Amino acid sequence: MQFQKEVEIRAPREKVWKFIWDVDRFIACVPGCKEAKTLEEGKRYSAIMTEKVGPFKVEFPTTIEVLERDELTHIKAQAAGADNKIGSRMKIDLDVNLRAENDNTILGFVAGVDILGKLAALGHGIIKRKADQVLDEFARSVKQKLEGDA
Amino acid sequence: MLGRFRLEEPEKLAEASELLGRYGESAKIYAGGTELLLAMKEGLVRYERLINVKKLGLNQIGSENGALKIGALCTHRELENSPLLQQRLPAFANLEHHVANVRVRQAGTLGGNLCFAEPHADPGTLLIALEAKMIAARGESTRAISAEAFFVDAFETSLAADELLTEIHVPAPDSERKCAYLKFGYLERPSVGVGIALSLRDGGVSDVRIAVGCAGPAPRRVPEAEALLSGKSKDEATRNLGQAGAIAGRASEAISDLHGAQDYKEHIVGVLLKRAFQSAVS
Repeated sequence: MQFQKEVEIRAPREKVWKFIWDVDRFIACVPGCKEAKTLEEGKRYSAIMTEKVGPFKVEFPTTIEVLERDELTHIKAQAAGADNKIGSRMKIDLDVNLRAENDNTILGFVAGVDILGKLAALGHGIIKRKADQVLDEFARSVKQKLEGDA
Repeated sequence: MLGRFRLEEPEKLAEASELLGRYGESAKIYAGGTELLLAMKEGLVRYERLINVKKLGLNQIGSENGALKIGALCTHRELENSPLLQQRLPAFANLEHHVANVRVRQAGTLGGNLCFAEPHADPGTLLIALEAKMIAARGESTRAISAEAFFVDAFETSLAADELLTEIHVPAPDSERKCAYLKFGYLERPSVGVGIALSLRDGGVSDVRIAVGCAGPAPRRVPEAEALLSGKSKDEATRNLGQAGAIAGRASEAISDLHGAQDYKEHIVGVLLKRAFQSAVS
């Protein structure tokens, strides 16, 4: 499943970049994400991703690895996790791009999300819709936090 | 394999509601089990307790003050074979006759179907068109929820955690009220379902209610499409069906999946709406 989102934030690029690397504040913007830990500064992180569709709940202990980092412009990361209770795995390939526009920043991200295992029984459409909602909420939350600081 | 759980067997409604309140998300109502047990066997959901409500006697079908009252624990089989439904609400009896397969219809209940809110289920769509009310009980108190407000999202209803669906009230149609439900699919579950109810008086169509289901996360009423048909002559309403179908297609929030691509489902909504309208007015 491929997702592409772009959000304009009324904040300079330096501020947005700094925010992304402030793990605690950034993770608070990811719906259902908890217990974020830095394993290796700037390179590896862990967190627990939880999500719910009606009575179906998943909990993926996830490792996030930063693969590329171009100062102020681009981050490439990969997140992978497994919920052994329901026998499902998740993999996210994430490209984050920052672009300055006037005094604002355009934060864009492209996410390739793969869900494997029993969770797929819920149906591709339902999972895609949920993932889309999560990404929208994330984008809204980042914008709110950064613009709220101004 | 089904994991271990404790089976509670309350004999009174208030007791079942109290158990739900006490155990919260670790307990679940067990009626026919046709959806729940499959999900549990797959390990997709786990509950420490199942609350078997089959002893509560909520499987009556009756009529009172012009409304049909259907107990939430009526099985699909009981509903398809009910002489009262066949006579007063044949479209609903026919819908029930085509739910899943006979094994599911024999065990599965209408209430279970509605509360599980699986997106590809049939009954909710027609019940929205029929202006049905869902009666929810908590302890000794009850409240009525309109069918359209009952379905929130995929697998989500507006029932509170300690509420039980006890009855479904459907206004019994008079001789001028017509309704129809049509579905289409090529897998076990339907890809699209369309329900319509309308009044036909002196060649004019009024009080149209349209609902679409299965295509998206939950069944939805489509007032914008209804407005194109309501208060019109039969011919004028027929001419507007294309536009109403396109609106209903978009309103279905169709999702691309194994049951069909989004634009395909939207198109089928339009086709089924035309046919359902023709069937209702003929």
